[in-house]
Amino acid sequence: MTGSNDSIGKAVRDFLAEAEEIIDQLNNDLVSMGDCAETGDCNPDLINAIFRGAHSLKGLAGIFGFSEIGDLAHNMENLLDSLRLGRVEITPVMMSVLFDAMDLLGALVRGAGEGHLDASGIPLMVSRINACASATQKSQEVSPLATLGLTDAVLNALTEYEEHRLLENVKKGRLIYSIIASFSLTTFDQELGELTDLLKQGGEVISTLPTVGSGSEAGIDFEILFGSTKGEDGVSGLAGRPGISVRQLGAQSKPTSPSQPAQALEPLTASSSVSAHDHSEAASPAQPAADAAMTAKSMSRMVRVDIVKLDDLMNIVGELVLSHSTINELVGKVRSSGFSTLAIELGKAAKVLQRKLNELQKGVMEIRMIPVGQLYEKMSRIVRKVSREQGKKVDLRVFGADTELDKLIIEDISDPMMHIIRNSIDHGIETPEERIRLGKEEKGVIRLSSFQKGNHVVIEVEDDGRGIDIARVKKKALEKGLIQENDPLSERDALELIFLPGFSTSDTVTDISGRGVGMDVVRNNIAAVSGMVDIETRPGQGSKVIITLPITLAIIKALIINIVGRTYAMPITSVLETILVERSDIRTIERKEVIQLRDMTLPLVRLGRFFEIEGGDVLPESFYVVVVGVAEKRLGIVVDDLLGQQDIVIKSIGETFKGFKGISGAADLGDQRTILVLDVGGIISEATRGSV
Amino acid sequence: MKKILIVEDSSAMRSLLISTIEALEGFEIVEAANGFEALRLLPRERVDLVITDINMPDINGLELIRYVRNSAIYKSIPLFIISTESSERDLAKGLALGANEYLIKPFDPADLQKLLLKYLG
Repeated sequence: MTGSNDSIGKAVRDFLAEAEEIIDQLNNDLVSMGDCAETGDCNPDLINAIFRGAHSLKGLAGIFGFSEIGDLAHNMENLLDSLRLGRVEITPVMMSVLFDAMDLLGALVRGAGEGHLDASGIPLMVSRINACASATQKSQEVSPLATLGLTDAVLNALTEYEEHRLLENVKKGRLIYSIIASFSLTTFDQELGELTDLLKQGGEVISTLPTVGSGSEAGIDFEILFGSTKGEDGVSGLAGRPGISVRQLGAQSKPTSPSQPAQALEPLTASSSVSAHDHSEAASPAQPAADAAMTAKSMSRMVRVDIVKLDDLMNIVGELVLSHSTINELVGKVRSSGFSTLAIELGKAAKVLQRKLNELQKGVMEIRMIPVGQLYEKMSRIVRKVSREQGKKVDLRVFGADTELDKLIIEDISDPMMHIIRNSIDHGIETPEERIRLGKEEKGVIRLSSFQKGNHVVIEVEDDGRGIDIARVKKKALEKGLIQENDPLSERDALELIFLPGFSTSDTVTDISGRGVGMDVVRNNIAAVSGMVDIETRPGQGSKVIITLPITLAIIKALIINIVGRTYAMPITSVLETILVERSDIRTIERKEVIQLRDMTLPLVRLGRFFEIEGGDVLPESFYVVVVGVAEKRLGIVVDDLLGQQDIVIKSIGETFKGFKGISGAADLGDQRTILVLDVGGIISEATRGSV
Repeated sequence: MKKILIVEDSSAMRSLLISTIEALEGFEIVEAANGFEALRLLPRERVDLVITDINMPDINGLELIRYVRNSAIYKSIPLFIISTESSERDLAKGLALGANEYLIKPFDPADLQKLLLKYLG
């Protein structure tokens, strides 16, 4: 390799990003291929796109030194090449091998990105792929293309794939057309794209051959080889534009063209083409120079940015916000020192700064937001794959796909979401036979919906399956010794048991949901992004998992509190109200401290005790209670003092504090102090479990 | 400065080609992510050499090579194919259509540099 280390490092990062994109797209395309495999009518463009994905991945992996990934992609590419060239046929076994191979590719690329690539699964996968390629080998027939009368010049420019598609079209009895269209150089890509889209509605675009425009430097001609069952008039009608010639190739060829009959005879010679000059004038009558300047720009206006850079930017914004607070404090000091005019001027400047900072903060935050729909696409693949494996029929319905969430949150909840959906199919949705017996529709329904609710985004996964059998949950909990025979247990308490580590209601651990990930891990992962998860269920009618998430993790407003001389930040989104409470207001129910708040009994948690701070047990005569709530749960957190609200930037506290209950990160205050940020969801969970 | 047009739909592969070429002095690079962009760039840039992949959507490398070789203006531009060994038959076609050289992915950057110097040095 050449170039500086920096550029190579960047190139490898480019590889990882591109490889992930390719794999995502491949997964989507494979799902579509799985669907059309069932009907036996697959769009060749789709199969070719999948081949090209594997092909690109192989090339990339090879050149960046990830030979294991390249090896797997190479074998997939061979199978897909045989498929697109019609040498093998799609079978259910092949689909399942391809899905598994994609899963493995995804795992390898993720592994490569994290520096620990595990290649142990590749040999088995390669042998499965190769078995697939040889098992379904079709006998190869060679059908002469000579009857079409294509010149060698055209045949030589066709790839092996295009040749195959041409043959397939001929074999299926479709008519092959040569369509010549001329365009102006300034607009050809858009206009050709439009023409191709129109043609695709009535057949297959096999090849697009560019030729230098006849008679004018500003023009370009294209010969499109097109297969269709339509007659010549039908194809001309499809194209729906003047200035193109349509000629049917082959024995029955009748050289006519409704728009340009005289020019449609010899498509490959310059003289036969429609005048590019004439057409370009017609297409762009004015300002060709201005058009040229415009189209010289890139088509896409998107920029791909590493989220780490956005994090850095957000941190800087956060620090600027803190600097602003310091300036505000100085305004106060200047004023009290008697420089009132100066203080007013400084105060005005600080206000302008604040306004601009708010805009900046909002702008950076918006860049991080992506629609939940991107997550839904992944989930739809999981649904199709798992339901196919399980022999179940599932109709996935999505709502609110344009709801936006912080990219990092979406990343972090992908795996928990996947587990919830696997659970729905595995444990919830019944088999088609069972559903019919129960008088339900044969196809189960999973509804995936999201919506914004205040400062939160709520994502719900709802199925119409068999629901959770509460009696069975209690029985399992008894067997595991998690509860006693006579423990009073409400339905909600029983559902909470599902979130305990190692708890499973499944008698037979299946490959689908028995992968060592339980609902406890799901809850922990969601709590790690300050989210909450809840379950509702109705026997025989289905279950609903409700995930409540903050919109962003970046800059948040926090309530700064004090306990036994220590300062903490509490995300304001979790705070419902703060109240002053007398010690005599506290009652004890089942060894737990509660207070009466209007018409509800509010359980209390003493943070001093929770964090086992020395002196944390002492309660003054009157004290503050911060009422917090996430989803439907409420809790009163006992604190010594409320110090006010402030914008904070939550920073990770790293591996050392990982798993430390009740803390989600750290934040810098304006006065150079660093304080811990409370994980309210985590504290509520701990309190609900009764461990505090 | 000699200008090289890279036609390749993989941005990572383009990055690598660029870092390989930039290690040499005296070359300027124009990038095209597909055949369309290449066709649009050719008349706007005075290109001295084209490096193209074969497998690309819509307009593939072979079609691009045929276009360049049939054009009175560009027909003498040196043209390299960069492709994987799986498309052997397409590669042979590319050479038959008039490509000057080919490189198999994964290519050795030193080979590409040598070829560039041979044609443009």
